[in-house]
Amino acid sequence: MDVSDSVLDHLRQVTALPDLTGTRYELESEIGRGGMGVVYAARDRELDRRVALKVLEVPITGEAQLIACLEHPGIVPIFETGTLADGRSFYAMKLVSGARLDHYVADNHTLSERLRVIRRVGEALAYAHSQGVIHRDLKPQNIMVGEFGEVYVMDWGVDAVAGTDGFRAPESTLDRLSDVYALGALLKFLVSTSVSPAVTAIAEKATSADRRERYGSVAGFLADLDRFEQGLAVEAWSEPVWHRLQRFASRNAVLLWLLAAYTLVKFLLFFLRRF
Amino acid sequence: MDADTAIGGPSGRFPSTRVSLIQAAGSGLSDAAMDQVIALYWKPVYRFVRLKFQKSNEDAKDLTQGFFTSALQRNFFTRFDPAKASFRTYVRMAVERYAANQHAAENRQKRGGAVEFESVEDREIATESPELEFDREWRRQLFSLALDDLRAHCQQSGKQVQFAIFEDYDLTDGDRLSYSDLAAKYGMPESTVNNHLAWARRTLRAFIRERLRSTTSGARELHEEMRRVWM
Repeated sequence: MDVSDSVLDHLRQVTALPDLTGTRYELESEIGRGGMGVVYAARDRELDRRVALKVLEVPITGEAQLIACLEHPGIVPIFETGTLADGRSFYAMKLVSGARLDHYVADNHTLSERLRVIRRVGEALAYAHSQGVIHRDLKPQNIMVGEFGEVYVMDWGVDAVAGTDGFRAPESTLDRLSDVYALGALLKFLVSTSVSPAVTAIAEKATSADRRERYGSVAGFLADLDRFEQGLAVEAWSEPVWHRLQRFASRNAVLLWLLAAYTLVKFLLFFLRRF
Repeated sequence: MDADTAIGGPSGRFPSTRVSLIQAAGSGLSDAAMDQVIALYWKPVYRFVRLKFQKSNEDAKDLTQGFFTSALQRNFFTRFDPAKASFRTYVRMAVERYAANQHAAENRQKRGGAVEFESVEDREIATESPELEFDREWRRQLFSLALDDLRAHCQQSGKQVQFAIFEDYDLTDGDRLSYSDLAAKYGMPESTVNNHLAWARRTLRAFIRERLRSTTSGARELHEEMRRVWM
């Protein structure tokens, strides 16, 4: 059968739409595309609420089923999984409103705010690893910052996803350490304007091409980030003496000022007594 | 440039010699599998050769036929490694290499003998790159073959009305009838028209999947190619 250009375009359009026959959802619009599938905004007729519907070519089995069971404030909750009449699989998820991290970062946020986002992402990742799930495709486009500052990690990977250039670890088989690499790349992406050598060192350690040089877990990465925020020495960087003194002075500024004042007073009293 | 070949149109998708060609070649693939490959790829290869190497209709047909014959004789399709590329990319790169070699050989002959100048008007102005045209033609063939499957399925299972409604609404180039017009034409409620269209599209998608399944190496490549059909 001959198919003209216009008929081909029309057929591709109508056959791309998910067939929601027999489900409780009504299609509204497409809201995004990822390596795994297409996400649509839809209305849940039974509960009268809007949801995000992720439609996948791959069946939901194995690890994907685990993903559906993840419960964490940093992971978008999944309400339902199933198979559509056209054979495709779907997740119905909470519809999150906010900005994708690559858009969010364009605004002028402080270093501390950027590190807060990284920490939230790391916490979600550490939880998922504890449940035996790895992300496989962590990147700014898969992170959403809600209007009240909540951070969601989305698009949890299945085997078909092979990561994204710039965030993908060089190894051929992806595992937890590959997620650590992506988290480091994300830190680089978020704090590229930062002048802190300690943060740069943390990001460099996490994204080391040699897996043995990376943090052994997301928890190790987060602990080093905490040390930086508390003004302590970080594991990733053997700092020079002058920097250590500078950091000590910065952490103990009040004490040092008091000590200086005390010394000055003692000094003055010493001379006053002599004259 | 002269018109495209009618091969791939309603009268047939590939040369009538195909079965004997496949059998003679002993390619290692079953006749049915090879049928599927040639049905899907003959026209994309032909269009790619025409655009990339600026061949006339007859020359492009000869090159395409030559490519498939050579591929079958050399067991080319059985050497495909899914770890390196999709089958679609493998075919496109192979035909590019084959046609470039043939093209260079022709040019060497011309340099040794009478030189033929090709008229500028004869050249087709490509609006898309040959690679994009190859992919587009691949999608067109895929839908075209799946539509044939759908029509045959409707005829065999007594669903001619469903196909007629689908044809009226989804396969028309001009203005589409509305759902209410279709409901009046076929004497049924609009909701039934809606259901018939949903069924036909769903079934068409299933036939596309089946066609792809027979020309891909496994689940992973199948899912990736399904994604590419609609990207």
